Formats: sequence, structure tokens, C-alpha cells
Amino acid sequence: MAGTDEAEAEVEDAYLVARAREGYLDAYELLVQRHSAMAYRVGLRLCGNHHDAQDIAQEALIAAWENLDRFRADSSFSTWLYQIVTRRALNKVTRGRDAGSLDLLPDVADPGAEPAAQAERNLAVDAVTDALAALPFAQRAAIVLHHFEGLSYAEVAGVTRSTVPAVRSHLFRARRTLGTKLEEWR
Amino acid sequence: MTGPVSEPSSRGQAARQLLSSAALACGADVDLLLEQVADGRATDLDAHQRECVHCEAAIAEFTAVWRPLTELAASHVPAPPGLTAAVMSQIRVLVRDVWYTLQTTDLGAIRIAARIVAALARDSARTVPGVRVALGRSTHDKLAAIAERATRRHRHPHAAVGVLGRTAVVDLAVAVTYGDPVHEVARDIQQHVITTLRDTIGLKTVTVNVTVDDILTND
Repeated sequence: MAGTDEAEAEVEDAYLVARAREGYLDAYELLVQRHSAMAYRVGLRLCGNHHDAQDIAQEALIAAWENLDRFRADSSFSTWLYQIVTRRALNKVTRGRDAGSLDLLPDVADPGAEPAAQAERNLAVDAVTDALAALPFAQRAAIVLHHFEGLSYAEVAGVTRSTVPAVRSHLFRARRTLGTKLEEWR
Repeated sequence: MTGPVSEPSSRGQAARQLLSSAALACGADVDLLLEQVADGRATDLDAHQRECVHCEAAIAEFTAVWRPLTELAASHVPAPPGLTAAVMSQIRVLVRDVWYTLQTTDLGAIRIAARIVAALARDSARTVPGVRVALGRSTHDKLAAIAERATRRHRHPHAAVGVLGRTAVVDLAVAVTYGDPVHEVARDIQQHVITTLRDTIGLKTVTVNVTVDDILTND
């Protein structure tokens, strides 16, 4: 089976989505392998803790499969999954769970780093984490999707069912707030 | 937000002051400068910025302030181990499983889930030269329903769902290498998979439908 993994990387998501809709669970499994890290990462950054992030990723990937027939072929699978993950994260956050202990980077420890530098790095991570957690959800989602995930304003607007001017406005406000918080920490 | 910033006094104060202002002393928009830095375009200066000390200072400040965020965004967060397996096992529960009964003896029935047959067929197909990607599917829903109806009267009491006896129908979707003779690769797959399923599971009659729906180049 040598080379199959590389070959599978060549197949586009759209192909796998089409096969998954025809009942090939294998195809969906490949999509899950490709996108589970993203689903978890976004969940983690939006919700703040490992357990919620894992739940969000798992629920979102199952929901995506259950709704494959509603998936529009003109959008990308990842955009669609971002949408589901973001909505699930919003549900979790608004359900009143404590988002005070945001842990954006559980495995930040780098064994090669100097202890002092590592401690400073962790402090920086904590500072960003706290600053992000304090943002209203819409602003946090815009920051995470644009600055962490690299989505364009238009893509963020698509994922959050918003408009480009609204996304831009959320980002302007969020950046000032984050900048002020991080400046205090510096 | 106050008016334009005059002379920044100290470093920390400067950034705070900048962030509470709408524009720099030169008239440059603070939000746009912060956007430029946050988007990683700090060195992408326009004609005004190349000449302006206010813009130069503000960009340097914002770059330092924004750095922890840039570093966090660049850090790798892997999926927790077992996430894919957990998702797929829940999905498999949702999918109605079809079973093949291999043997019914005094000791009881031996059954095997159709998805296992599909997985074995897929792995077997992947070893055929020229096959780049193979996806397996056990009997199509419609076929499964027909088989279930057809075998209902003969169904063994131990079999929970449709019993298809020792006959398997497997669908394979494959992508092959560009330039290889597609019909020959497809026939090789059928023969290889049929032999594998007979030898490893003991299925008697195996039908392997091969759909070649993508051709990949070697680049």
C-alpha cells in the first residue's frame, strides 16, 4: 500500500464529498482525517478548553456527515465545516460555560526551550488567551477565523453569515482591544 | 477615541495612546495601520509610509504588541488522538449495518459486518499496481434492501439484519494512474479482490463492481 497516503492527499475534497454522499464511508473517513485538527483547533480557540473543543470537533464532524445532502457543491467542505464548528462553539459558550480558563495551546511546552524563555512564552500565550477570552464572541470568531485560520474577510463573512463590512468592523474593534491588553502585558 | 496623537512620550504609553486615537499626527488611520501589521504586511510600505516617521514608529510599536498573537497563530495544534476513530465509530452506529452470514452450525452463526468486507476489498484493491486511491462500499443501500427482502423468508434467526448468505456485493471507487490501461487495471482489481475475499473470509460468491472515477498524474 506504499504511496497510498500521498495519493490520497492528491484527491480533492469535492471528490471525497461526492463519494461520501454515495455511501462510501471510507471517503468520509479521509475527510475527517484531513479536517479533524482544524475542527479541534478552532473549537479550542473559540471555547477555550480541551474537553469542549473535542466535543465540538466530534459533534461538528458527525453533523457534517448527517447533513451531506444539504451541502452545496459550490462552497468548499472546509468553509462548511468552519460554519458548523463556529455555530457549535457559539452554542457552547452561550450555554453559560465558564470561558475564563482559556487554554489555547495545551501542548505549548517545547522540550528544547530554555526554562526562562519557556516561562516567558507561556506568559505570552496566557496573555493572548485571556485577551481573546474577554472579547465578545463575534469579535473572537472574526479574529480566530481571519488571523489564526487565514480566512479572507469574505470567507469569514460566509462562515459567520455576516457581511464583509461587519467582519471588518468586528476586526477593527477586536484588534484595538487586543492591542491595548497585550500592551499592558508587555 | 480622541484626535490625532501629538508627541509620544514613552514607549508603553505611545502604543496605548495610539490605540485610543483615530489617526496619527500625519493623518494616517490607526485601524488601517493595525490591520496592515496584523495581516503580516508591516514591511509592505506605501509611498507616504516610506517617508513618514509617525507611521514608521506606529508600525514598529504595533508589530511588537501584536507579536504574541502572531506566534500563537503559527503554533501547531494537532487533533487529539482517537478523534477520527471516535467520529467514525459513531457514524457507523448511525449507518444500518448489513451482515453476511458465513456459516450456521450447531454452535451458532458466524456473521461478518459488510463494512469489514468493504474495508478488506478496499485494502486489497490498493495493492493492485496502477491504483492510486480506492474507496470501498459494501452493498449499495438499494441492493442491500433488495437482498434483505429477497432473503427474508430464508433468514436465519440469529441474523439481526439482512442476511446475504455467502454472497457479497462490493462497490469500489478507484482513482488510477494516468497512462495505465484503465480496463486492465479494473480487471486486475476485480480478480485480486475476489481472490482476497474468498481466501480471507471464505465468501463463496463475490461480485466486485469497479468504478474508475478519477485519473491522477504522477506529478
